[in-house]
Amino acid sequence: MREIQLQLSQTQKVRLQKALEHLESLSSKVNSDASVTIADSIPVNHEDGVLKGHGTADLEGEVVATLCGVVERVNKLVYVRTLRSRYKPEVGDIVIGRVIEVAQKRWRLDINYSQNAYLMLSAMNMPDGVQRRRTALDELNMRCIFEEADVICAEVRGFQQDGLHLQARSQKYGKLSTGQLITVTPYLVKRQKQHFHHLEQYGIDLIIGCNGFIWVGEHVEVRDDMVEDQVSQSDPQVLIPNKNSVSLEEQEKNYTALETRKHICRAANAVRVLSTLGFIITLEIIKGVIDLSLSMNLDIHDMLGSEFCVLVAEKEAERRSSNKKKR
Amino acid sequence: MEMDRPDGRSPNQLRPLACSRSVLHRAHGSATWAQGETKVLAAVYGPKAGTKKNENPEKASIEIIWKPNTGHIGQADREHEMILKKTFESICIRTIYPNTTTSIVVQVVHDDGALLPCAINAACAALVDAGIPLRHLAVAICCSVTDNNCIILDPSKQEEEKAKAFAYLVFPNTTVSVVPEKSLQAGSDPMAHGIITSVTHGAMSVDDYLHCLERGRATTQRLSEFLRKNMEPKSTREASKAG
Repeated sequence: MREIQLQLSQTQKVRLQKALEHLESLSSKVNSDASVTIADSIPVNHEDGVLKGHGTADLEGEVVATLCGVVERVNKLVYVRTLRSRYKPEVGDIVIGRVIEVAQKRWRLDINYSQNAYLMLSAMNMPDGVQRRRTALDELNMRCIFEEADVICAEVRGFQQDGLHLQARSQKYGKLSTGQLITVTPYLVKRQKQHFHHLEQYGIDLIIGCNGFIWVGEHVEVRDDMVEDQVSQSDPQVLIPNKNSVSLEEQEKNYTALETRKHICRAANAVRVLSTLGFIITLEIIKGVIDLSLSMNLDIHDMLGSEFCVLVAEKEAERRSSNKKKR
Repeated sequence: MEMDRPDGRSPNQLRPLACSRSVLHRAHGSATWAQGETKVLAAVYGPKAGTKKNENPEKASIEIIWKPNTGHIGQADREHEMILKKTFESICIRTIYPNTTTSIVVQVVHDDGALLPCAINAACAALVDAGIPLRHLAVAICCSVTDNNCIILDPSKQEEEKAKAFAYLVFPNTTVSVVPEKSLQAGSDPMAHGIITSVTHGAMSVDDYLHCLERGRATTQRLSEFLRKNMEPKSTREASKAG
């Protein structure tokens, strides 16, 4: 999660400072009374049965904070939310992970959490789409499906005894190829209704993983399983594609157009700029940054320069102030 | 008794403090802490799954790696590791993440006296940066007794070498209630808060030791204020930026 090192000139520093201050003044007033350091006692109305949530502890009847952060209250629950917290998986989260090991009947993935997550062979759709028991042969051929260092998109299934389990039971999950994986700090990604986005005008797919991994890649048509069954007549048991001899025709078919690649790089750089500035990553803001860079006819690598970062900050300040005036 | 310290400080005066957090990108939490010339960098990784063989799996275990600025890791470094481990085991709430290991790596950048307290402060700031729940913050101070039985705080390396004896003391931080009226009460009874760690070198009388304790505890107020100011502004600024 290395941030871009910005070399700002004096005027740029001043402008950036101004834009950030503007944003601060616009934001709903963060109650400074609510920010708390470790071992501070939290004011609580003792008559209500208060539930002590994460980041709190009971000390002689006083509710005391164990983390530095902001106190949040939801009905009777009181908890402390840290601002730079690590990713905490919840059931149903869309995450993107990288395979680190192929184990017996499962893959182990790194999802930027304190433990590694497991994707069971049985929690995945078979490539030929048939629903059947996984045989020993399937286990031996696991490496044909995913290998080490592959990037996978999956959904959190839950915490089982041996760790965190994922599932990839839909065509929209699975191996991701032809694109870029960008890591940002997890708190910049908030849980939303849609995490899979398709930018039609650029022909790219954008997957915003809740664990701070963001995938920008070439658009892949989500194929229907039923149609696939009729088309493929090959033996469903044996699936051993020979990777070494990818024929020339296949290579040509898989070739990604230069325009698409440029769009992928542009979107990826947009995400990098946003993560350096510390803004929350959503589809609208990414689109806004891409449009801004295209309207200025900026070269892709110039997007990581200091001038563009300052412009993005200023534009965001304008956008938020105009949003506030509309309300 | 008037004391002439080489750098002109009064006996109760600390060296200028500097603390910065989130200095390392790949560590889960990191902090540097400088007291005058002494500078230490601490990084926290964790909690990671699994504990070592002779550790209790029902509790979180803490692993300290001490890296000296020059030379190979020797016995003194192992001793520092053990002291830090015991200190942080009493601060962290170990029942929250059972069967996990949290690693704290301490790298000495420059040693100019009061190294262990500086390391403890740095590691504590790094733990806060990593978001690991703690019972209270550890505030560490070094008191030394000179030849003419004068007690000075935060000695530099020269003063430490000339001193008759010195003690590293670690106290829990003073609490400030979010409700302003209560904080007036908090400062009134400092003795009630307790002590976490005390490491002494050399021979000193019992009275001297008790004086050291008093002086040390009195300074924890100042250090706690510094820590609090350090942790707060960044949090509110980040929250508003993120929107």
